[in-house]
Amino acid sequence: MLLALIFIPIVAAALIPLLGKRQVFWLALAGTLVPLGIGLVMLLGMGVDWRSLTGDVFTRSIPWMPELGLTFKLGVDAVSGSLILLTLLLGPICVLCSKSAITERVRTYYGWLLVLQGAMVGVFAARDLVLFYIAFEFTLIPMFVLITLFGSTNRRAAGIKFFLYTFTGSIIALAGLVYIAWFNATKIQPGAFAGAGAWTFDLATLQSAARTIPAGTQWWLFLALMLGFAVKVPLFPLHTWLPLAHTEAPTAGSVVLAGVLLKLGTYAIYALAIPMLPAGAVQFAPVVAVLAIIGFVAIGLVCWVQTDVKKLVAYSSVAHLGVCMLGMFALNPTGFKGAVLYMLNHGLSTGALFLCIGMMYERYHTRSMLEIGGLAKKMPVWATFVVFFAMASVGLPGLNGFVSEFLCLLGAWQASDTWLAGGFVGGTPGVLGPVYVGIAVVGMVVGAIYTLQLVGKMVFGPLKTPHGDDHGHGHAHAPHAAAGEHVSLPTDLNAREIITLLPLAALCLALGLFPKPLLQAFDYSAQRTYLIVNEAREQVRLLQVDAPIPPLGPASTPSDPPGARPSGTGQGKPEVHQ
Amino acid sequence: MNRLLTGLVAALASGPIGSASLALAGQEGHAAAGGAAAVRTLQSVPAQLWVWLIPGLPMLAAVVAVLCAMLRVRSKFPAYFTVLCLAGAFGVTLWMFSQLQQGGPGAYWVVHLFDWINFTWLPGKEFVANFSLYIDPLTCLWMLFVTGLAACIALYASEYMSHDLGAGYCRFFFAFGLFVFSMACLVMGDNLLMLYLGWEGVGLCSYLLIGYFYQKPAAVAAAKKAFIVNRIGDLGLALAIMLIFVKFGTIEYAKLWPLVQGYVDLALAGHFDQIPMSVQGIAYLLIVAAFGKSAQLPLYVWLPDAMEGPTPVSALIHAATMVTAGVYLIARMMPIFQASEHALWIVAWVGGLTALLAATIAMAQFDIKRIMAYSTVSQLGFMFAGLGVLTSTGAAFHVFTHAFFKATLFLACGAVMHGFAGQLDLRKLSGVAWMKGWGIVGAAMLVGCVNLAGLPFTAGFFSKDMILAQAYGQEGFRPLAIVLLFTALLTAYYTFRVFFRVFVGPKSFEPGDEVHGHDDGHGDAHGHGDDHGKGHDHSHAKGHAHGGFVPHAPGWAINTVLALLAVASIAAAYAYPTHFVENLVNNSTARVAHASGAHGGGHGEHEGILGYDLHTAMYVISGAVAVLGIGIAFVLHYAGRKTAAVSLADAVKLGAIQRWAQHKWYVDEFYDFTIRLPLKFLACVLSFIDKFLVDGLVNLAGFIPRWIGSRLRPTQSGELHGYAVGMAIGISTIGLVALWVLW
Repeated sequence: MLLALIFIPIVAAALIPLLGKRQVFWLALAGTLVPLGIGLVMLLGMGVDWRSLTGDVFTRSIPWMPELGLTFKLGVDAVSGSLILLTLLLGPICVLCSKSAITERVRTYYGWLLVLQGAMVGVFAARDLVLFYIAFEFTLIPMFVLITLFGSTNRRAAGIKFFLYTFTGSIIALAGLVYIAWFNATKIQPGAFAGAGAWTFDLATLQSAARTIPAGTQWWLFLALMLGFAVKVPLFPLHTWLPLAHTEAPTAGSVVLAGVLLKLGTYAIYALAIPMLPAGAVQFAPVVAVLAIIGFVAIGLVCWVQTDVKKLVAYSSVAHLGVCMLGMFALNPTGFKGAVLYMLNHGLSTGALFLCIGMMYERYHTRSMLEIGGLAKKMPVWATFVVFFAMASVGLPGLNGFVSEFLCLLGAWQASDTWLAGGFVGGTPGVLGPVYVGIAVVGMVVGAIYTLQLVGKMVFGPLKTPHGDDHGHGHAHAPHAAAGEHVSLPTDLNAREIITLLPLAALCLALGLFPKPLLQAFDYSAQRTYLIVNEAREQVRLLQVDAPIPPLGPASTPSDPPGARPSGTGQGKPEVHQ
Repeated sequence: MNRLLTGLVAALASGPIGSASLALAGQEGHAAAGGAAAVRTLQSVPAQLWVWLIPGLPMLAAVVAVLCAMLRVRSKFPAYFTVLCLAGAFGVTLWMFSQLQQGGPGAYWVVHLFDWINFTWLPGKEFVANFSLYIDPLTCLWMLFVTGLAACIALYASEYMSHDLGAGYCRFFFAFGLFVFSMACLVMGDNLLMLYLGWEGVGLCSYLLIGYFYQKPAAVAAAKKAFIVNRIGDLGLALAIMLIFVKFGTIEYAKLWPLVQGYVDLALAGHFDQIPMSVQGIAYLLIVAAFGKSAQLPLYVWLPDAMEGPTPVSALIHAATMVTAGVYLIARMMPIFQASEHALWIVAWVGGLTALLAATIAMAQFDIKRIMAYSTVSQLGFMFAGLGVLTSTGAAFHVFTHAFFKATLFLACGAVMHGFAGQLDLRKLSGVAWMKGWGIVGAAMLVGCVNLAGLPFTAGFFSKDMILAQAYGQEGFRPLAIVLLFTALLTAYYTFRVFFRVFVGPKSFEPGDEVHGHDDGHGDAHGHGDDHGKGHDHSHAKGHAHGGFVPHAPGWAINTVLALLAVASIAAAYAYPTHFVENLVNNSTARVAHASGAHGGGHGEHEGILGYDLHTAMYVISGAVAVLGIGIAFVLHYAGRKTAAVSLADAVKLGAIQRWAQHKWYVDEFYDFTIRLPLKFLACVLSFIDKFLVDGLVNLAGFIPRWIGSRLRPTQSGELHGYAVGMAIGISTIGLVALWVLW
């Protein structure tokens, strides 16, 4: 079934050249709705109890290139499953929101959108490293096309920067991942665990293998992986491609970018980097936390002085994902659950905000808050949605953003050895704690400041439109107006647009009030990752007190995961592996 | 239909009197419990599930208002439906109260609705924040006046907002219903995260309602300011919740109190040094939250600006209910505060100073609604001072009486504003009470004013006196008592300054213009009839000349509500002899714990004043102070005043002090200059750094390959010589390296 989720959109994309321009939209809609339907069936109708899942389901393993150790291996657990559902949900929404915005080269547009959809599902479903990496990288191409062909004025520069920046990062990550595969193939006694000592790219095997890499080497590997994945997140200071890409991308591009593509980074860190290199994660936790907090607070302030509304929301993504990373690098179950939930919530609320902005842009063709304001007067329905999603984004309790933000901050707050030393009942091991969180919460105020700035300028205040005219649909000014059919839009949202936004709004509310099932579902993954990380803490502690690492050959005895006692390999010093 | 509603509301509004008799039963129970620690018993109650109606009905009203907006309803239906729901919620609250009383003193319920944020944070260790309700007498006290007042004020608003029938009307009642829901969550939640939900929820509603006239930049700015300043307070609450969780492993009240008790005992024995800073620190964090929400120094600045909202909102949210959430928080968390050595001292003094500062500002303002706003800040200061000097009873009682009389005052001011096209300047209105149809407004205003001024034997007098006496009797707080007494004098003065200038004296007025007025789009000088406020098109109302203006007297809804609230304000005094509030507070966690041997409820053995019992003496002193204040106002603003604008007060020149007070001591400007501007500057710098340094480095990195390429490109010229030279260099280099290696 996962195969269907990946390939239905791709097949639909392949069928596009056969159709006329008008049918393309409907095909694209079908090509995204059918997977969504299948996804819902998998969620509810297959008798899978997601809340007590202890491993992958819907696994599928097709031999691919056995001589190279490649298999086409798919599977989902609760974490990747929920992210796949988010992807599937955003699919039809992206198609729907493009109906009036994209009027020329529709075949190219919907084709690449569908391919992107398949690739993104592939990343979350992949259980083989090479497959994962291919899908991970393959998302770049459709996105690049969407930005450079269908973006606004500065689209080429934005597209190229997006591509090169994230691609460069990924290459570095690839080096790290290949090292891990090489390590497994050459340094580990065959038979230590399934797949040990042979060339394989099976993720589960590589996780077990990588954990036996000495802490010093893990530091380097983790750095490599983080360089690749953190660009995607994006973590301060690797974020500068994002505002540009977001501003220039078409609405659907922004939605996918904010909703799913950024989550590829956080997901890769959560599902690959941390469980593979727990000792590296422990060593990097304070660094990442500091960067995350800088992102949350400082980039939040940067949001405040933006005049381009799309840029503001784009920067706010950097700030929000700062919280997500802070929670993740608390390295305790609270933080992990908060971070995973944050991925979903950010996809919903920020994606929805981009949709709202896109709808406004289609009517007024400006993103400048200096030119536009007080739209509540003209577009009350739109204004209601904007205020709602702004509140979800600012973390108002009762809506989704709050739960994840609170969990991330609480996780970071708990993660301090000083709590444990002081006999506090709620502490977990870690190096963050009250000082980190005390600074991070300032970001909550900053978040309120810039979000209300956006709402105060765009939605409220005296009515201000770019040309001072009353035409809600001045399509004559559209960049693509020269050719192509015009879709006349009413002053306020039409039914299609409301249908686009409603599911997101409903989910924001539902996840805000009933997050418990999801939190239960993430429990296994979070607890397991926590155990893995805790095993590694001892190793790091030894490294930090400069205790001699026992010289063990490649023939060391890596025991069973996840209880693997990390054991060094002969070289001891990290440089040797480089 | 209308008559039916009036009757219903009248029946419901008699609640405070009716419930007093219930309180008598509770009093006996209290006497029986007596002693050092009240026995608190949990009654586990699936049977009490109906209490969900208290938050549920307002939520229903909000949902229906949204539906009305979607269906483009252009009648008063959403208002009447809201009134019905809120009245229903009030009825359920009364029932809840009576049922709880039957459980005996110290009974409390935890009613579980559904699981909210529950998760396993380590195997076997749960974080629990259910959507559950915690009902004890303190909850009842708060919910009684919240739902009761909300129902009345919704009825008032049905007329007041009638100029905006349609989408705006629905929006108003949506936020109104949501507010009462949030307030119910805040007060009734069984854990701190539920409280946080309500805490931010009321903040959101406050934001939406302050910014109701969203086309006015001032309203938008005020709404934003309120939300952001409140958020600063919310940080304190969020951190406090996390600290409580890490320390005690739970944030549910029922599980928290036994864990805190040990520290309270230590504190009572004076061993503060044995209480870890982490426990004492919780109180400081909570203080930040309380000061933000309840507009205390230094976070009070949002409340006066919040008057940009429609007046019913100012009355309900920014006077009676939401702003008392800080008092509720501290009262609810009293054990935590008692376990902290300096927290209550800070609360007391900040409260006292806020009271004084706000009163001085109120004296110099001309906008009557702003005077009331500063007076609210000032009275909240009294409540905090009461909490700080360990009379949570006095504080809660003052919350209770203040809710009624301040709502009355605001609604009376609102009626004036409504009738005079947004006029709020006390120099431009005079003798309103004597005009035709304004009698009830005038009477209600008088009732509100005597209560606020603390004229003897009014409710406001009793509640204020309780705080003053306690402050005077409490060791080390005598200077605070004097500050508060002085503030009481100022209060009496500025209260009656408004009354004497606006409501009595020669009849004269100057209508406001809707541009100046707070009611945007409500400058309809022709005045619509009382009961048929159809949606006018106000766009043409601008050009009306003063000559044609006829102030339109309030209609039945406004008059009914004013009369009801005036009666309730007077009747609230009855709660004093019956110990209504005292019994409620002392049977809840707000009860101030005393070292064994001392009496409960703050009636310790105090030294008297000049041989009189402390309370008796304080009655006399504060009564005299109130009369003195009113007298000064009478002389300066009534005696000999012939016109609206000029009075004896103009002869009093205080120079810079007056000017500074009129400009609110320039606190807003100070904040702007010291916080907002530097922050904005920092944001610009960061933005610059981000754009040119962080991104610049990236671009530089992108530029280097291109630069190298551009340097190398000329070598690929296609000329044979060049390649030959290159080849020669290459070969010789390889040769050299090979030589060196082999050597």
